[in-house]
Amino acid sequence: MLRHPLRNNWYHTLKDLTITLILWGYYTIGFVILFAPFYVCSRFFSTDVTQAFQRLNTRFYRWFFVLLRYLAPACRWRVDPAVKTIRGAVIVANHASYLDPILLISLFPRHTTIAKQRLFHIPLYGRMLRLSGYIPSSAEGPLAELMLDSMEKMPAFLSGGGNLIVFPEGTRSRDGQIGPLNTGAFKIARLCNAPIHVLYMENTDRLFRPGRFLFDTRSANTVCVEYLTCIEPRYDDPGFSLNGLMGQVRGVLEDRRSPVR
Amino acid sequence: MTHDEIEKAIIRIFADQFEIENPGLNDNLRDVYEFDSIDAIELLREIEILLGVQLTREEKKAAMEIRTVNQIVDYVVRLDRKIE
Repeated sequence: MLRHPLRNNWYHTLKDLTITLILWGYYTIGFVILFAPFYVCSRFFSTDVTQAFQRLNTRFYRWFFVLLRYLAPACRWRVDPAVKTIRGAVIVANHASYLDPILLISLFPRHTTIAKQRLFHIPLYGRMLRLSGYIPSSAEGPLAELMLDSMEKMPAFLSGGGNLIVFPEGTRSRDGQIGPLNTGAFKIARLCNAPIHVLYMENTDRLFRPGRFLFDTRSANTVCVEYLTCIEPRYDDPGFSLNGLMGQVRGVLEDRRSPVR
Repeated sequence: MTHDEIEKAIIRIFADQFEIENPGLNDNLRDVYEFDSIDAIELLREIEILLGVQLTREEKKAAMEIRTVNQIVDYVVRLDRKIE
């Protein structure tokens, strides 16, 4: 029996709304009930608070995606096995959706990332970012000390197998094009003599579109995290150029980019 | 080191490390050359090599607010005098 298209639309919207609210419920109430006690215990009893918080963040987001996969079975997920083996590197990727950073965080228990400066000023959340060892995007005023501290620890963090996850575009692309790249990730890589792994995130923006509140759980879609390349620049080479490195990464991302939708 | 020697050394560091050739002495480095906090930390490392000393956390913190080449030169001159 065929359904009336208008009724079909309402049904789908209601389904998307329900799933979105469940996911937001996990993100807020679920965090407080299921994870906050572990964060509190780690804060007071862990010998390495930063590492403990990073692991908890990974678990929290991993369960978020387990829930999302269960609630949105029309969406398939493909993470290149090579991605999970990355250690001790600066990971850069294109940015299309709010799902991108939390998806990568869910893959790497030892990670850090660059977060917008204003987030560090939000009560409790900002504290959590600090305790997770995340880096502010700028170091003005009271964040100068945090930036200095993060940068002093970064070489040991990377050589110990941790990954720095950065979306060098700094903001989500609305048209699938690769935007201008910020220099921060590449400067940190140079500062720490670290390799750069380039990933490509695909279709996260179809599942959770920028500017929309609802997840699109009914469209057939495959979210991909693809491993593109590893670049190991010779930073001490007199011919090394930061702009050249950024151009190389940009070229790799643009070559992989899907045709304009 | 004299003021001029320090100024030349800083300008050389800008060219070698940050690909910034002959920056204006009073240009706001952040606005004109996108010289950010990470660059500032790298510059501090170069200043430590230049002076042959390890800077304290307070000295580094003070440098994070610097915006122009002239201010950097003054900062290094002050450190150099302190060491002597």
